[in-house]
Amino acid sequence: MELEALQTALPDIQRLGASLVAISPQLEKYGRSIHRRLNLGFDVLTDRGLQIAAQFGLVFTLPDYLKTVYVQFGNKLDEFHGEHAFRLPMPARYVVDQQSVIRSANVNPDYTIRPDPSETISTLEELRKGKG
Amino acid sequence: MTLQQKLDDFKSKFESGAPPYNAPTAVIEIFHRATEELRQSGLAERALKTGDRAPVFTLNNQDGNPISSAELLTKGPLVITFFRGHW
Repeated sequence: MELEALQTALPDIQRLGASLVAISPQLEKYGRSIHRRLNLGFDVLTDRGLQIAAQFGLVFTLPDYLKTVYVQFGNKLDEFHGEHAFRLPMPARYVVDQQSVIRSANVNPDYTIRPDPSETISTLEELRKGKG
Repeated sequence: MTLQQKLDDFKSKFESGAPPYNAPTAVIEIFHRATEELRQSGLAERALKTGDRAPVFTLNNQDGNPISSAELLTKGPLVITFFRGHW
């Protein structure tokens, strides 16, 4: 749902001179299928082994009781990620400026809560103004 | 509807236990427990935040082409969204 909402906001993001990328631990073939299915205008990147997510401090290992439920429901994270461990990134959205400084960060341990794309647009607008 | 309204809508349908998801109460409780434990772990508070330097990365896109954050940043700001996956 978040990717669809960001797709809707993509023209505004680009109008403000910014790029957008989505990162997940899923292998390329799964990224490709999402990209096609949602008809996305931005890149879906594969973070193999969650290395970049780890650098942002987002990675956690699923507790065994949750892993059991995932397996029961056919959610084979090990297959999707190409690794044995059942790890996920916390959902997060960052805005990075051209000096590589993070200008907004939204990380939530509850994956059912996500910031509206309009918040991201506001940050980009402020960045552009600051540049003035 | 805003993104959060859509997410809330989905959540309430899922947690009602009704079709098409037919989620058992026990499973919903497990999801809640896991989220609560993750919250209490404080991991989110330790993640990179506003003012920190963003790590540089090069990752393959959906077509197998390498995409470099440094190159994108030469053109303008960069919005990065980390997602769990679409299952």
